[in-house]
Amino acid sequence: MTAPLLEVRDLSVVLSRTERDLPVLDKVSFDIAPGEVLGIVGESGAGKSMTGVAIVDLLVPPLRRSGGTITLAGDRLDRLTPRQMRRVRGKRVGFIFQDPMTSLNPVLTIGRQLTDTMRRHLPVSRSEARERAISWLTRTGLPNPARVFAAAPHELSGGQRQRVVIALALCAEPDLVIADEPTTALDVSVQAHMLQLLRDLHEETGTAMMLITHDLGVIAKMADRVAVLYAGRLIETAKTQALVTEPLHPYTAGLMQATPAPDETGVMRVRAIPGSMPGIGAAPSGCAFHPRCGRAQDICRQTPPPLADAGGRAAACYFPLHREAQP
Amino acid sequence: MIIYTVGRILQTLLVLLVISFIAFLLVATLGDPLGILLPPEASLAERQELILRLGLDQPMLGRFLHFLWGMLHGDFGLSYRTQQGVGAMIAARLPATIELAFVSLLVTLFVGVPLGIVCGVKPNSVVSRGVMLVSIAGITLPNFVVGVLLIAIFSVQLGWFPSFGRGHTVDLGGWTTGLLTVSGWQAIILPAITLAAFQVTFVIRMLRTQLLEVGQSEHIRFARARGLSERTVWFSYAMRNALLPTITMLALQLGNVIAFSVVTEGVFAWPGLGSLFLQSVQSADIPVIAIYLIFVGAVFMIINLFVELSYPLLDPRLRKGRA
Repeated sequence: MTAPLLEVRDLSVVLSRTERDLPVLDKVSFDIAPGEVLGIVGESGAGKSMTGVAIVDLLVPPLRRSGGTITLAGDRLDRLTPRQMRRVRGKRVGFIFQDPMTSLNPVLTIGRQLTDTMRRHLPVSRSEARERAISWLTRTGLPNPARVFAAAPHELSGGQRQRVVIALALCAEPDLVIADEPTTALDVSVQAHMLQLLRDLHEETGTAMMLITHDLGVIAKMADRVAVLYAGRLIETAKTQALVTEPLHPYTAGLMQATPAPDETGVMRVRAIPGSMPGIGAAPSGCAFHPRCGRAQDICRQTPPPLADAGGRAAACYFPLHREAQP
Repeated sequence: MIIYTVGRILQTLLVLLVISFIAFLLVATLGDPLGILLPPEASLAERQELILRLGLDQPMLGRFLHFLWGMLHGDFGLSYRTQQGVGAMIAARLPATIELAFVSLLVTLFVGVPLGIVCGVKPNSVVSRGVMLVSIAGITLPNFVVGVLLIAIFSVQLGWFPSFGRGHTVDLGGWTTGLLTVSGWQAIILPAITLAAFQVTFVIRMLRTQLLEVGQSEHIRFARARGLSERTVWFSYAMRNALLPTITMLALQLGNVIAFSVVTEGVFAWPGLGSLFLQSVQSADIPVIAIYLIFVGAVFMIINLFVELSYPLLDPRLRKGRA
């Protein structure tokens, strides 16, 4: 196996308070190989976006990274000065924001925003930057790129703006792209196009991708591997196929059943997991999922289960499903 | 864009017409021009002749149109107090007020804008906290108190600047300027600072609020996530967004400065429009008051017009009619 491009070890994020810090992310560890697509799933508030934001050090106080290491191609990102970090953002790690309606500067043209980004990171002249910008707009499938170059964001539709956001994230040719819910804010009809575009660009450029989403359908289409977050902890990682067909953690299985799917009679069914995820600072002792879990025993209530490696996949559960899948 | 421009200009003219009408009512209904313009022993025939000459026998609308017609031809009526033309009186005072407003605007820009940026970009720094504390004084202290304090310190105690007047002025073809002589500059500094005190704090607070708000926005986070330098993020990306409301407020303030420098001019005996207005009020010189009212209205409206016409240049969202 090749050396991972991104290695995250024991990443912890806290919400700083005067009395005590509340944990938001609790010792999250994962790798992304060069060119790999890692899906990060979980409910709202599980810490998905926080993980992406923490990697590029864009947490807004009172949120703060409290521990762990982040290594990108051998460089420790967690040790960089703010100035060095600004050279990493955009250039080595691109970030695709969730909401294209608010992510673009309303008073600057698309071209200006693209060329500023490229000229910051790449040794290109003004005219080269312009050419490249137009080529990126073409590659992201925008019609009439020269017109889009001169346009202001409000002249474009939501889908077009998200294409621009993708072009902005990729234009300095990063090794890793963090896509935070890239399709959530879009119309369903546009979502499929956007996923196809991400897929195509990923194959074209060979960048690794960290795809943050709550949508297992998106994961199934896009990701090579999946990491499931619950209440700030990583509870399961596996290859996408294995995770979808044989989830080990009861929460993952519950998530899968909570995705609408037709039953034998063709009627769409959803089975929600009873209860709700504990909020920040409200996690119970032991496994954070135990109050909602049908398999919970005493040990689940007392000691948090470690993320146990089981043949290329891992689950943080004392009583995983599909035991036969384990050695 | 052309429709927008024409529409704005028409609106401006309409409001000016209304202001003129109110001012005209003031002249037409307050005071007795015959009693003031004629000697007490004037005969009935003389009174009748003046009534005809002034058109006082005409219906209200006709008199208003006559009033407008006169204004369009530079006839602003006669002052009851000095028997001079009101237009000439205002023209003589205008340079002093405009120069004062101009210098105080410069003070506002060169002090307010940099401090506002500091307070918006680094809201928790020592400098920002200090500026915000002092700026409370600027907002709460009335103009005349600031003026009197400045006179007490810099004129009376230190003797650096004169406490009244414009100093030596130079006549440039009808425009008397104090900005070409040393004593003129010495004289203008204290009143300009007094007049700017409120505007400066206003601009600081406005810019700070705007920048704090824009700084939180998604597009600024995205700009940071693309690795743009802090300088680019603040000065190109955030400032552009913060500028629009600030310019609006600043321009409206400029209208205020020109229109209502009455108090400051009073404190410093500055021979501008404000002093003229005070004198006219004291002697119930209705024609001067009326024309002053129209003038102030016109200044406000014209500044507003320019601000609105400049919006589309700053914000592409307002450029209508583009394909």
